[in-house]
Amino acid sequence: MNNSRKKITVFSVINGLVFIIISLIILVPLWKILVDSFDLRTAYGMKMWPEEFGLDGYKHIFSNVTLYRPLLISVLTTISGTILALILTTMGAYVLIQWDMPGRTLFANLLLFTMIFNGGMIPTYLVLNGLHLTDTLWVVILYPALNVYNLVLMRNFFEGIPSSLFEAATLDGCSPMQTFIRVVLPMSKAALASIGLMFAVSYWNDYTHYRLYIRNSDLYNFQMKLRGMIMGSELPTVSGNATENTLKNAAVIVVIVPFMILYPCLQKYFVKGVNVGAVKE
Amino acid sequence: MNNKNIKTVASVPKGSKKSVWAKVNRYKGFYLMFMPVLIFALIFNYLPMFGIVFSVTNYNGIKTPDFVAFENFKRMFFEMPKFWTSFQNTIVISVVKLILTTFFAVVVSLFLNEIINIHFKKVVQTIIYLPHFLSWVVTASLFTLILAPNGYGLVNSFLVQIGVIDANDMIYFLGTSKWWRITYYVINIWKETGWQTVIFMATLAGMNSELYEAASIDGANRWGKMRFITFPALANTILTVLILNLAKVMNLFESVFVLQNDAVLDVSNVLETYIYYQSFNSGAIPNFGYSTAVGVFKSIVGCVLVLICNHWSKKVREGRGIV
Repeated sequence: MNNSRKKITVFSVINGLVFIIISLIILVPLWKILVDSFDLRTAYGMKMWPEEFGLDGYKHIFSNVTLYRPLLISVLTTISGTILALILTTMGAYVLIQWDMPGRTLFANLLLFTMIFNGGMIPTYLVLNGLHLTDTLWVVILYPALNVYNLVLMRNFFEGIPSSLFEAATLDGCSPMQTFIRVVLPMSKAALASIGLMFAVSYWNDYTHYRLYIRNSDLYNFQMKLRGMIMGSELPTVSGNATENTLKNAAVIVVIVPFMILYPCLQKYFVKGVNVGAVKE
Repeated sequence: MNNKNIKTVASVPKGSKKSVWAKVNRYKGFYLMFMPVLIFALIFNYLPMFGIVFSVTNYNGIKTPDFVAFENFKRMFFEMPKFWTSFQNTIVISVVKLILTTFFAVVVSLFLNEIINIHFKKVVQTIIYLPHFLSWVVTASLFTLILAPNGYGLVNSFLVQIGVIDANDMIYFLGTSKWWRITYYVINIWKETGWQTVIFMATLAGMNSELYEAASIDGANRWGKMRFITFPALANTILTVLILNLAKVMNLFESVFVLQNDAVLDVSNVLETYIYYQSFNSGAIPNFGYSTAVGVFKSIVGCVLVLICNHWSKKVREGRGIV
């Protein structure tokens, strides 16, 4: 008995160590970027602590007016896109749980078919171009707003609402829209948080749609701007006491910090969203 | 849709008339609510499907397209070796990436499940989920900086330090064909393994603890329990994950696009990036007809894969498909 106890402890310690190492593998690249963003001495090699601490990298980034516009565009498209996407997702999902509605299966199949087949990159580009949506922010807000996978997730959430609640609302004289707003939405706060966050992250991280449909650099979001700074020659080789390398590192940190601050509080909602998808597709 | 057991939840009174039109009338509020979704689907999903007709033309965005029959497809299949390279790269990169991340996710889940201290477990989970939420642009920036083939790069500096390589002979991980794919896989494992454990952990959380107790009484040790109870319980979930992702292998774009460059196109160009460069980056007048044809090929292969996976899924998952 004593022996087996000891074994478990040894295993637990080793297992714990392995996970500390795994966590470090995840964190070290991020930590290195953070360190180098503060290091004014050209951040060389394996240093895990800044040699000459200074904020010049950040001073350059924040004094650079061309960065405010992409930030504003990222915030604007993320907020408006997420709201629009949630409206479409919840209304569509609510209609799809009306099992008795004539044409419901047709509607469902119409949406599901888009998961099987699509026109492809170029026809989509040509259609959006023909509608004069390219080179406007409308395209990056509207195009990703209908996501059939998320709509199915939302429908799964809605199925869990007891039907007696709908009946009660109807008896009280609520119209479908009133029932939706007064019963369905308040009952699905967790779902709205999960799926809303998924949308918000994908709008915030969007690069592909900007790359494909936006040519005007005045309409670039933060991701496009960061890409330009890391790959291109947009950054000066020296700014104040900071080198180009310090500036690049500072730029990456500026992009990820807002999310990093929110992430620990939001993590459980993301996990909840996946779990509902896992239980029922 | 698998909900025969759920009764009607229409929030309108059930009329006595059974005629379809009375029913339609009863649901008119719902039809109105579905209009926006329908309009979005028609404009953004169905309209582009009609754009496929460009694949039999020589449309270049400027002059009115001429009908060229299957000229574009002929060119694609017989005159463009790069098309075949891209097709092959798409399949290889997607499948290897899928197998690697799933394998690591299963292993990590099995051991994560053995952590007793709940707070430690929570912290570990929070950390390993994190990279999933970084955009591909941020991820690419991060690794471009860390893998830089000069004194700034952490990895090369480390390799010099431990004496594996010479300081004058640093490895350009993202810029040489020999290293690109392995680097791409490692970055994907770093980014997605943690998040993939969520689905496996959910399966493990729903497991019956009596099985473990019974096994303990029968004298099974920790490895025996992992091998004969935990792992088999995951088998169905593993299969599900593989099937779901196999259906998506043709969609590879952003992760490859942000990590590739001209020097490594031979090993990294996938169909979507091939279409992109053919249409937007070649400098010449784009041949939308040709790139649409490549897209049609991609969509058809993708569609067949989804249908096969759907069929397969129904077999192994008690009738549940993936669409």
